[in-house]
Amino acid sequence: MTAIVEVKNLTKRFSEDVLAVDNVSFTVEEGEVFGFLGPNGAGKSTTINMLTTLLKPTSGKAIVAGFDLARQQDEVRKVIGLVPQDLTVDDELSGRENMYLQADLYNVDRDRAKRDIEDLLRVVNLEEAADRRVKTYSGGMRKRLELAEGLIHHPRILFLDEPTLGLDIQTRVAIWDYIKDLKAKHNITVFLTTHYLEEADGLCDRIAIIDRGKIVALDTPAALKRSVGGDVVDLIVDGTADFSGTIRQVDGILDVRREDGAYRIKAVKGEASIPKVLQAVSGQGGNVTSVSLSRPSLDQAFLEYTGRSMRDAEQSGGFDRAAAARASKRRR
Amino acid sequence: MLRETWALTARELKHWYRVKVQIFMTLIQPIVWLGLFGQAFNIGVLLPSQTVPMFFSGAPDYFSFMAIGMLAVNALFTCMFSGMSIVWDRRFGFLNKLKVAPIPRGAVPISRILATVIRSTIQVSIVLAIALAFQYIPGLTGLTLKEGFGIVDLAGMFAVLFLLSTAFASLFTTIALAVENQETLFGVINLLNLPLMFASAALFPTAMMPDWLRAVADYNPLTWAADAMRQFAFIDPNPIHSLTADILGLLAVAVLLMGASVVVSRKLLSNR
Repeated sequence: MTAIVEVKNLTKRFSEDVLAVDNVSFTVEEGEVFGFLGPNGAGKSTTINMLTTLLKPTSGKAIVAGFDLARQQDEVRKVIGLVPQDLTVDDELSGRENMYLQADLYNVDRDRAKRDIEDLLRVVNLEEAADRRVKTYSGGMRKRLELAEGLIHHPRILFLDEPTLGLDIQTRVAIWDYIKDLKAKHNITVFLTTHYLEEADGLCDRIAIIDRGKIVALDTPAALKRSVGGDVVDLIVDGTADFSGTIRQVDGILDVRREDGAYRIKAVKGEASIPKVLQAVSGQGGNVTSVSLSRPSLDQAFLEYTGRSMRDAEQSGGFDRAAAARASKRRR
Repeated sequence: MLRETWALTARELKHWYRVKVQIFMTLIQPIVWLGLFGQAFNIGVLLPSQTVPMFFSGAPDYFSFMAIGMLAVNALFTCMFSGMSIVWDRRFGFLNKLKVAPIPRGAVPISRILATVIRSTIQVSIVLAIALAFQYIPGLTGLTLKEGFGIVDLAGMFAVLFLLSTAFASLFTTIALAVENQETLFGVINLLNLPLMFASAALFPTAMMPDWLRAVADYNPLTWAADAMRQFAFIDPNPIHSLTADILGLLAVAVLLMGASVVVSRKLLSNR
């Protein structure tokens, strides 16, 4: 695998006390789906905006598809596609007209554009609505159009900023399938940001957990979850006898905690440990009334690395400052 | 360069002609101006009739004088909103799409300017047709052109309007790029619009103005355009400037302001 995006010590400071991205370094391999997971205001969009030439880094270096972001912006622009967080399709034009406009902006060969536009509209399931004005589209349709637009010039890297934000679950699943398809069929590298755990988990080959402008962990979803510890088995046993010692002796058990008649067991592989645990407890005369297995989630991983859960992070006030600074900058 | 500029120009024009109300307004506004203002302020009747052409650049009556000036004013009115779409595009994120695209930054202002010039030409043609048609409506004064007014004169008038529209469209597009916010833009437009219109020969001969105002008005591009067009439309006994001076002045301002819009877009539409 070769690196297609190389980022070194990238920093963006909006003002004296708003440091949106803080000395971030990472590499994206060609052909992978790379995700930035973090709460709102963590610096995800700021990073994407820097990598797509919209924002100038305060310091640091980035190479995108072999081009230096600081000096070769036009070359970078030609090989990347961006699907921004805000919908930017033109309401007054039809879906098809939006596509043709995009093809003109990227100077796509006209015959090829004509063919590709029909293909893309079919893929995102907008064939029938293609000649309707975009202002009659639903949010999901606009997002799908936006995705199709991002691909018209066959980019090598597609940047997706919160691709499923605010969409219903059906549309979300459709977009996930579509992104997986991109990778499988066209070997396009996808760089996405999200604050949905299941999105990062199901879609990404590797995830960088970003919080307060810093990358706190970077690995495959499976490895991130593993690093938290094993699976969790919850067990309820009748009676007052303590089976903790018995359970602890079973193979693959990492930890046991007992509260009343309930046991919380950490195991390397939960599904393999359950029968052994049940056998051991029954063998000592215990009557198991309930058993459940939960796998470690990215939320637990997030908690492990940032010291708080995603939900708490979303609610914490510090992040709104960064957003407010950005907004005020936009207004100037 | 040409392809994306034209694509963006076409987008602007689609936005314009797809809103039916705008077409309606385009027709109504000049009728109101010509009908009310032009007819009501027919100050030519206060003068001895043989002196009217002397005061009004060779026009046989005030309405004819004012109708030509109205063409220039109409161009100004069309142009003053030429940057508005940039403000909207900024607000709705479309501008980011343009910033990410591998297009020269100048394509953004130039496409707006081009679209505005096309619109302005269409609207001014309508105003001209209406002013001429007033002749055939009983009770109204219409635009009376010089005897022997020909296609060359008409082409000359439109060339002048083209330069004027380019200058004003560039001016207001550049302002819109720089102010980034709708309320401020409206403020600036209002601030510039009325002084530009009244401190000019468009609606009133500068010869009748006080000296200080006249000194300003004689160097207003709107004056140059009205003055040049009147030299095409009538036999002007005493033009303010020579035809060559008017046209060169307009050309210089148009080139300068359009250049400014490109320079400003390069600065403001690249990453910061």
